[in-house]
Amino acid sequence: MPWNRPLIIGLLVVLLALTWWRLQPEDEEIRRSQLMMGTVVEIMAGGQGFDKLDAAVDAAFAEMARLDKLLSSHNPDSDVSRLSQSDHGGDVAAATAEVIALGLEVAQRSDGAFDLTLGRLKSLWGFDQETPTVPNRDALATALAGIGPEALSLEGQQVNKRAPQLQVDLGGIAKGYAVDRAIAVLKQYGVTSAAVNAGGDMYLLGQRSRRAKHPERFWRIGLQHPRQKDAVLETVQVRDRAVVTSGDYERFFEQDGIRYHHIFDPQSGLPARGCQSVTIIADSVALGDALATAVFVLGPQAGLLLLTQYPQAEGLIVATDGSLHTSPGWAAYQVTP
Amino acid sequence: MKTPWHFMTAGDWLVVLFLLTAALAGIAWVAAAPEGTRVVVTSGEQTLFIAPLDQPRSVDLDGPLGQTHLVIDEQGVRITRSPCPRKICISMGTARHRGDLLACVPNRILVHIDSSAEEAPYDLLSR
Repeated sequence: MPWNRPLIIGLLVVLLALTWWRLQPEDEEIRRSQLMMGTVVEIMAGGQGFDKLDAAVDAAFAEMARLDKLLSSHNPDSDVSRLSQSDHGGDVAAATAEVIALGLEVAQRSDGAFDLTLGRLKSLWGFDQETPTVPNRDALATALAGIGPEALSLEGQQVNKRAPQLQVDLGGIAKGYAVDRAIAVLKQYGVTSAAVNAGGDMYLLGQRSRRAKHPERFWRIGLQHPRQKDAVLETVQVRDRAVVTSGDYERFFEQDGIRYHHIFDPQSGLPARGCQSVTIIADSVALGDALATAVFVLGPQAGLLLLTQYPQAEGLIVATDGSLHTSPGWAAYQVTP
Repeated sequence: MKTPWHFMTAGDWLVVLFLLTAALAGIAWVAAAPEGTRVVVTSGEQTLFIAPLDQPRSVDLDGPLGQTHLVIDEQGVRITRSPCPRKICISMGTARHRGDLLACVPNRILVHIDSSAEEAPYDLLSR
């Protein structure tokens, strides 16, 4: 064979490869936001077929709206409101029972650092109102009476209250559960790449889809620095994982030079003081939500001890003094600078 | 002894030249794939909103006079509603090229088209 033939064939191959690379269809990506559950919920879905993605995102939002009606303490007809108003409890929807079951499990394993019965305490502080205030000691004692991991019990879909005055509050876990359900709906529609983000509590399904000049890759999530507003503490990369952060910087007020935030220690009724922020990477957002709160309340040492009971979860804790504490598996998610 | 070049006919040279040119053009074609451009909205020194230009959406942006309504679609980005008295920002039309600017001075909203040749360091922020 004349020597020039391989040269020509080689050039042809290069040309074909370049054409193939350039003409490969890019994934479509839909990004939509709605105000619900007291926050901005954003859903991104990527892949082929705009109509399919659009229908999937619609259905995911509808599922979250359905759960908001069941689990919100602001809706007087919700399961949560009915439980709070009743003396002894009552039957709830399967979804509500599932949320309560997970919440009670974390409450027990964390010795009450996570608590589903802080409704009266949260109302007392008034973080949902325009002017939150520091309650007096007697009011705190009254609001904490009867709470704890044993305050609620669950038999099937029947919830029992230990004391009539208990006010159920699923705020620390309901949003995460709704995100998990939205992801389940997206999967049912065949979506393989998506992110559902409810005010920073998020689940990342599959990989970030292929876009212009950027190949498919793991999702990269920046973690808010707790003391520098426009700074990122670090970046993690994940797929098929929930990322949840609880921090003392999100909702707080200052009185007499003291900063009061919205994550309460159920033992004292006061804002927990062991951490600035906690980020959990877990296999579900609901679990991540509950663990982030529990670890925040427990502080770095006890918090890391709690995480050893959950092999499907890893955590990054910023302690009150700014020091960083991580669970053993955290490093696997860190993006190497 | 004859070198391999002596076996090349004029036609061979023509084919090689054509393929070489096509391959180089192909490389340039791949390199010139559309870069990610984005819409950046600021008010004073504060960044209010950043979004990719290639993802249709609409958004209300708060300014001192009220809400300015911004639409991003396949044509680019434009202001469709504004509380300002003279609506100059609406009459500015659509911005889509790098460096294009829309401004609503009374409502202190500045919209410009930025280029993000590099990917953002992260996709979402957990807070």
